[in-house]
Amino acid sequence: MTVQLDTVASPQVSRRPRRRGNMVTRALRTTTTKIGLGLTLVILLIAFLGPLVAPHSPTEFVGVPFAKPGNGLLFGTDNLGRDVFSRFLSGGLVLMILAILATVIGVGLGAAVGVQAAYSRGRVDDVLMRGGDVALAFPQIVLALLFLSIIGPKLWLLVVMVAVGHLPRTARVVRGAATAVVERDFVKAAEAVGIARWRIMLTEIVPNVTGTLGVEFGLRLTYSIGLLAGLNFLGLGLQPPAADWGLMINENRIALTVQPWPVLLPILAIAILTVGTNLVTDGLARASAGTDSGVES
Amino acid sequence: MTSHPPRRRATTVAAVALAAASMVLAGCTSSGSTTDTSSGSTAAGTPKPGGTLTVGIVGGSTKDSLDANNPITHPDEARVINLYSPLATFDTNNNIVMDLADKITGSADAKTWTVHLRPGLKFSNGAPITAADVIFTYQRITDPKNPLGGAAALATLERNKMTAPDPQTVVFPFSAPTVTFPETAAGYVNGIVPVGYDPTKPISSGPFMLQAFTPGQQSTFVKNPNYWRTGQPYLDKLVLIDFPDDTARVNALLGGQVDAIDQLPLGQYSVISANPQLKVLESKTGNWDPFTMRVDQPPFNNPLVRQAFRLIVDRQQMVEQVLGGHGTIGNDMYSPLDPCYPSTIPQRAQDIAKAKQLLAEAGQSNLTVTLYTSPVAAGIVEAAQVFAQQAKAAGVTVNVQQVDPGTYYGSQYLKWTFAQDFYFTRNYISQAFASTMPGAPYNETHWSNPQWTALVNQANSTLDPTARCKIIAQAQQIEYDQGGYIIWGFPNNVDAYSSKVSGFVPDKTGIPLSSYGFDNVWLNQ
Amino acid sequence: MSRMLIRRTLFGIFTLVVVSLVVFLATQTLPGDAAQAILGREATPARLAALREQLHLGGSLPSQYFHWLGNVLTLNFGTSLANQEPVLKVMGPALGNSAVLMFCAAFIAIPLSIGVGTWSALKRDGTLDRSTSVITLVLAALPEFVVGILLVIIFSTGVFHVLPAVFVQNPGDAVWSHPNQLVLPTLTLVLAVSPYIIRIMRATMLEVLDSEYVQQARLKGVPERTVILRHALPNAIGPVAQVIALQLAWLLGGVVLVEYVFRYPGIGFMLTDSVNNRDLPLVQAIVLAIALFYVIVNLIADVITLIANPKVRTAL
Repeated sequence: MTVQLDTVASPQVSRRPRRRGNMVTRALRTTTTKIGLGLTLVILLIAFLGPLVAPHSPTEFVGVPFAKPGNGLLFGTDNLGRDVFSRFLSGGLVLMILAILATVIGVGLGAAVGVQAAYSRGRVDDVLMRGGDVALAFPQIVLALLFLSIIGPKLWLLVVMVAVGHLPRTARVVRGAATAVVERDFVKAAEAVGIARWRIMLTEIVPNVTGTLGVEFGLRLTYSIGLLAGLNFLGLGLQPPAADWGLMINENRIALTVQPWPVLLPILAIAILTVGTNLVTDGLARASAGTDSGVES
Repeated sequence: MTSHPPRRRATTVAAVALAAASMVLAGCTSSGSTTDTSSGSTAAGTPKPGGTLTVGIVGGSTKDSLDANNPITHPDEARVINLYSPLATFDTNNNIVMDLADKITGSADAKTWTVHLRPGLKFSNGAPITAADVIFTYQRITDPKNPLGGAAALATLERNKMTAPDPQTVVFPFSAPTVTFPETAAGYVNGIVPVGYDPTKPISSGPFMLQAFTPGQQSTFVKNPNYWRTGQPYLDKLVLIDFPDDTARVNALLGGQVDAIDQLPLGQYSVISANPQLKVLESKTGNWDPFTMRVDQPPFNNPLVRQAFRLIVDRQQMVEQVLGGHGTIGNDMYSPLDPCYPSTIPQRAQDIAKAKQLLAEAGQSNLTVTLYTSPVAAGIVEAAQVFAQQAKAAGVTVNVQQVDPGTYYGSQYLKWTFAQDFYFTRNYISQAFASTMPGAPYNETHWSNPQWTALVNQANSTLDPTARCKIIAQAQQIEYDQGGYIIWGFPNNVDAYSSKVSGFVPDKTGIPLSSYGFDNVWLNQ
Repeated sequence: MSRMLIRRTLFGIFTLVVVSLVVFLATQTLPGDAAQAILGREATPARLAALREQLHLGGSLPSQYFHWLGNVLTLNFGTSLANQEPVLKVMGPALGNSAVLMFCAAFIAIPLSIGVGTWSALKRDGTLDRSTSVITLVLAALPEFVVGILLVIIFSTGVFHVLPAVFVQNPGDAVWSHPNQLVLPTLTLVLAVSPYIIRIMRATMLEVLDSEYVQQARLKGVPERTVILRHALPNAIGPVAQVIALQLAWLLGGVVLVEYVFRYPGIGFMLTDSVNNRDLPLVQAIVLAIALFYVIVNLIADVITLIANPKVRTAL
């Protein structure tokens, strides 16, 4: 649902090549970015280290189903009498890996297409961008539902569907940024010297759209997390008995009034994580834009 | 997603009680006078006439039907039970009692059954219920061009040779001994309809008559003044509302939109039981949700592996984790309510060491299997997860593969090597013909054992109940030793209702809300 | 301008054709006999034959596609496998219900966001502006089902017990006959779409306020109120309209999870349900309906942008 942030937060193309570290450092000067980074790190820590410190196995039975907190169980038990806290600690890792994977693939391919379109201009540009427009006629979740319903809940398919959804959106934004770059003198100069096109794209154009790419990565990552958690929530992702935040919400929703923890913990984790990544992305966008674009104060 | 697939209900044909057969044969001449559907059960207080009862029922779709003899979903079932009465019925203890008939008598070879109707029976339109209507109904059910729900159990009925010596008597001839006929006659799918029956303009033989019906949404009934049980139903009006969703159904009860719901989800149990305005109706049943191992496929073609898997299960833990304790443990044999159920066979308990040893003997140590599961009934997916966890102890890796119900009952159905299924209460012979006899429609274990088949056939033609029970016990022993099912438990049926409603009693048949027996229910105000 | 519109319309139609192709090919990827796979254990020979006829299995792939497309164009989406009713009849009420929900959400979200965005721009860099900025940033990040469940926990099950957690539709009742059931799903959608509109409204408003003609109006001594209402707002609405249109289009995807959370009987819930039932004719029809809506809304957005653009407007 961050689709429209493109318009809002996509930064101006940098006027001259700028190093990424610079942008990150500048982004980190703002409080909200620091908070965002903190929130993100907390959840990442839980997701990656949680499985190591969980008091119980995520599939071990430790009590009656839907037991309230107590008896040494910090957050009670879930629908099968498993430790909610342990399942929570173990339930973020796969989600995180899938989200990062889908984002890397989607943004990577999207950037390639965008740069190619901008650099080729003319017909290739038209075809690529029009193709992208067509792809945008599918809400990502609908596209994912269509294929997951036919092929079945496979992890690779989840990654592919999320990445495919990102591709045209990223391509559009990156093309926008790269269009200005390809007109620049140093590109013309490189062309004049006879450097191969792919090399120009890689060494001259891409480094000049890293700001856009960084922001785009943040946006898409936020969106990937939400979408993947949503698909898991619908039961189309990871399968039982896997511990997964989206799945936990779905499995235990029926007992929300009796034992809210197995729903509340993953919901909060997803919320904190997406807010965190979005705050960081926002900081990056501002730093990358360099100036107050009028969107952010 | 919570609505059950049609399969079981259609052929459940109501559970079956061989006890009744014996009762009938013992001369059920007196049964006419002892026939309340839930006789013997004590519902407190004196029934008060009048009022409207609104009930939320699981499932239902725009495919809902009013057809007396072809109910598919739970709401269908509730409708036909209240619109049509069969010849006999099951009481809350799963015993057969007479309904429209006052006597069902079998010949010595169990190949001819004579049904005698009560005097003075009338349909809701005032027309008398006669032998001709009974014959019409059974011919309708067994129409070879369009066999309805009860047809499978009536395969041996010689449908063109039924006769009516007088308007109150029907003779049913069978091509082979069929001791299960009284059970079939008590099936709710075999309610009696008038000659020329039109399902879209139903004429009732049961306690209520139809007022309005919107498929997938709701149906409204009013009291049938011609119902044969005098004074019943107590209610003036009955409204049934479809609720495919668990949360919505419970919320409707909490919000007072409905007075009763069937199938209370485990996660909501404590909410309802803690509410003084509401009551939980919990019934032990003979329903079972087995794991199914194909006996003709590796690794389960080796009986040692099947035995090992049965020893892996911690049955008590299954009942605790999957059912929250609301159930009883199983012993790898179905039909626990059958009077012939061999309770002398020792209870199988978890024995990991023995299981490992058996697997080693079979050369299958560190076995990895895929267990296919699907949310086709409450607790199925949960049971798969618990089993996978228990199997780890024996070094067996169980990969739980959840598929959607469409795929589960898709082209692979009855072909999965290791999967699950669910059945409602049935007695042994009927269940065997549904799931384990050669040619049974749901033989998911591909069980085929000539010695066992001979025993079941022999039991089906043995009228003497004691002799029959001995045969059934032998057959059960064979399945207990070698069968392809892991039957870990029998879930209770849990419903809930408002405390302003009286007359609901626990019911072993596995059909919710006292077998949807709303003719016995009244409102306190 | 009309040439532009024709081009856009043609492109919209092209988009729909591509979407239909994707939907069709997706159906064809079903392993083995699609009819068998769909019907599963209910595959009686009669039903198989009927479904093969319906899916037009047999014949070459292009001929199957054109046959299917022909049916779709005449609004013949076939029969729902779950309940044997014409797809259009099944889908109709759900479309209506979703429209009600989306209308409620849009009716609240649009004026609210324009108001908050404008106000935020006028109070630029004030505490309220800053907090609005952070709040919208936070809300924009949250997946809609997370918002929905959090609202349920707050208003239905956990903190307060004032609003129903799921939608229960009494048979025959319209969805709006119990307005309290509409509150949480509507609120979820409002919280999901408003942040974007607020942010773009604020940004556009800032630009407009800095523009020459607004400065000139101020210099002429036009009262600030009039400057904002007569000069600034109308000029800011153009770009915002496009974002609003896009948000409306987004809503149709967003309702999928929101309706699932609240069991709201709309098109999104029906989609998740038909995905679970493998009711492919229904899935196909819903996906096509959503794509159609997307295309139409985008077209409207284009028109609004064209009309709102002063250069184009004067050229008319």
